Amino acid sequence: MSKLFTNRWARLISSGFYAGVAALLFCFCSWKIAAAQQDPRLERVDPQARPAVVAIIDSAVAAGLPAEPLIDRALEGTSKKAPAPLIVAAVRRLAGDLGKARKLLGPGARAAELIAAADALRWGTPSQVLLRIQRELGNRGLAVPLGLTADLAARGVPPDTAAAMVIAAARRVTDADLLALQRELERSIALGAEPVAASAAILVEVAAPGTGLSGEPTMTGGPARRKP
Amino acid sequence: MSEQQDELIQRVVEELRRPVALDSSLDERVMARIRNEPVRLPEPRRWLLRPFTLRLSPLGALAAAAGFAALVAATTLAVVRSGWLAGVPGSAGATPGVAAVPFVLYAPDAHSVSVVGDFNDWDAAATPLKPAGPSGTWVVTVPLAPGRYRYAFVIDGTRWVPDPGAPLAPADDFGTPNSVLTVGS
Repeated sequence: MSKLFTNRWARLISSGFYAGVAALLFCFCSWKIAAAQQDPRLERVDPQARPAVVAIIDSAVAAGLPAEPLIDRALEGTSKKAPAPLIVAAVRRLAGDLGKARKLLGPGARAAELIAAADALRWGTPSQVLLRIQRELGNRGLAVPLGLTADLAARGVPPDTAAAMVIAAARRVTDADLLALQRELERSIALGAEPVAASAAILVEVAAPGTGLSGEPTMTGGPARRKP
Repeated sequence: MSEQQDELIQRVVEELRRPVALDSSLDERVMARIRNEPVRLPEPRRWLLRPFTLRLSPLGALAAAAGFAALVAATTLAVVRSGWLAGVPGSAGATPGVAAVPFVLYAPDAHSVSVVGDFNDWDAAATPLKPAGPSGTWVVTVPLAPGRYRYAFVIDGTRWVPDPGAPLAPADDFGTPNSVLTVGS
């Protein structure tokens, strides 16, 4: 009887041991997965701002918005030693902009398109103008056209003019050519040209046959800086 | 007398040579007895060296397999998300569509210049520029995948300035304007 009692306990303890190991393994894996889902870069964010930033990012991701620009904005604020409330406000505002862009462009819009559209909206480009670009260029990627529209708006080109120029150019040339066009525009402005006039001049050039835009340059902004 | 002894011995031998009929359940009874014996803790060294048999129910085996798969997936995900692979030679440069983007700033009075932006997680120490001769021009080339990036230059570790030759980024949320750069595919 005593042996029977001991053996039953031994089996019970053995079963409990295996169940415990399985439970520990499950908890460990769940914890690791949960930890991996939170971007490790967020550990650099101001500790006072981090909980709110993480909450905003989680909500944004749940709504189908990209996390990357929100993380970047939080890191930017931290790097610039901005106060925590300012960081949280900036991330929240960007999440709102991305949400507006998503609503505008639809659920199929890619992250790069949402970022560019959010920039354009932030520069005051009306929603109708962005919708027009999407309607006119719907069968191609919109990230570069929308980004160019935002950058033109940043240079003070009126949204309608910017949109007309981008649509006309994007119908004829590739994204690489659009970026070359923008680089040419930046060069003209740096040399003293007035943005609207320079944009119009380039629009005419693009609309004309034999534009000369070959597509070899693929970037704008960084290269070929001039002395300020 | 001798004949009687021989006969006795003969009978004994015959008895011993007769096959023994064992109960067919003897093996089971013996093994059951052994299994029911209380477990004695072995010496640590013997315990470490002694092979053992792990018995799992089908459900337990499934749980263990699922746990192992989850562990591998979590580890892989953590490694990828940590960016550790980005430091492996050839992993970043081999990415198709990555362009080498030069950043140039004219800052003759600067002692140090770095470019900080979305592409380096806004780490001011990540991408320092190098002086290009005595002219006061600072240069660095950064491999960038297609995308739209916000960035700025940091002069002497304290002064943030936008790129004078690039469009400004919107939403100057932190009091220091940024530039924006688009890299095409």
